[in-house]
Amino acid sequence: MAEYEQHDHDHIEHDHMTIPKYIGIFLVLVVGTILTYFAATVDLDFIFPGANTLVALLIAFTKMTCVMLFFMHVYWSPRMIWLSAVASFFWLAIMFSYTMQDYLTRDPGVFSP
Amino acid sequence: MSSHSETGKFHYHEPGLQHQFEDMGQQEESVSIGMWMFLVQEIMFFGGLFTAYLVFRSKYPMAFAAGSNHLDAFWGGLNTLVLIVSSLTMALTVYYAQKSNRNMQVIMILLTMAFGATFLGVKTIEYRDKFNHGLVPVQGWNKRIKAETNAEHETKPCWEVDHNAPAIEHPNPRGEFQWTDCSLVKKAQDEGYLTNAEKIGYFSNGEIDANKFRDKVRIFYYLYFVMTGLHALHMIVGLALMTWLLIVAWRGSFSEDYYMPVEMSGLYWHFVDIVWIFLFPLLYLLGRHFMHGG
Repeated sequence: MAEYEQHDHDHIEHDHMTIPKYIGIFLVLVVGTILTYFAATVDLDFIFPGANTLVALLIAFTKMTCVMLFFMHVYWSPRMIWLSAVASFFWLAIMFSYTMQDYLTRDPGVFSP
Repeated sequence: MSSHSETGKFHYHEPGLQHQFEDMGQQEESVSIGMWMFLVQEIMFFGGLFTAYLVFRSKYPMAFAAGSNHLDAFWGGLNTLVLIVSSLTMALTVYYAQKSNRNMQVIMILLTMAFGATFLGVKTIEYRDKFNHGLVPVQGWNKRIKAETNAEHETKPCWEVDHNAPAIEHPNPRGEFQWTDCSLVKKAQDEGYLTNAEKIGYFSNGEIDANKFRDKVRIFYYLYFVMTGLHALHMIVGLALMTWLLIVAWRGSFSEDYYMPVEMSGLYWHFVDIVWIFLFPLLYLLGRHFMHGG
């Protein structure tokens, strides 16, 4: 019974990232941070009110995606990990949207100015 | 490292395989899924605070912008960069663990710890500044500044603030939360974009009420301290984790065959980094585009 001989194939693959790739992702994150700062100093309200926040969040989401996919190796992870990561944002979205659909639709009155 | 008994002598055992798992693949997958479940609940945990932020900011955007503009975006930005570098060194720790390179692992863990400590040091500078300027939203937790006996009373309306003037040290004998600048309320009123909540929340008898505005800015500082404080607590836990990792890596326990503790600590560290990636623009930069009402 030599069923464990082929153990090498059981490993989760981990040889995808190299040092230049890590540094590349790092540079993307640094550029994103600088971009966030300068985008915040420009008044984008002429597009629509709150455009600055949207831009800031878009950059933050891009940075987060880079960190998750490559630093946290989600890109090469089993489906279950993908599911966990995506599901957590799905639950967050439910929490945000259900909370806000309450607060944003209250008439002025007892519970809300 | 596991030390399981020699049961099946015909079975090959990986040196890092714990006895309850069939093989390394199953072990690694179980470990990562466990860690991800923890991270998912951490996301929900911080998510509650982000929800509070969302609710209050949608009601009182001007108070949030005013409070945010008083935070120092330089320190916040520097800390973002420090955390990103620490994330890189953490990722490289995992890389060197997978390459069974003990010395580089130890160096990278030490660098990660150094950057983590730098982050907390900068945070201390910021918190001290808030303490000195009466911006901690709890009475008595601010620096107590004695009232001068013949202090001139401020007669100007609270929205006429000269932002180029040197900062005045307001007397604060009881260490209360202080806020005197309503210029953003005036601006929003003049340009007509106060929210319904703001039209009630900042005004008394049709006049801007400095005290009512202060209480809304205070909500921002509550959220600022709870969110960054909780994040800093995670950094401290992360540093403890790194200390343990350093000891185990120093002994040369991690190799190509067994590196999951490094990888899992890395997931935690990157998660804390991601939280900061969102905290930085949401807390430090949200009102920068109309800084000081100008």
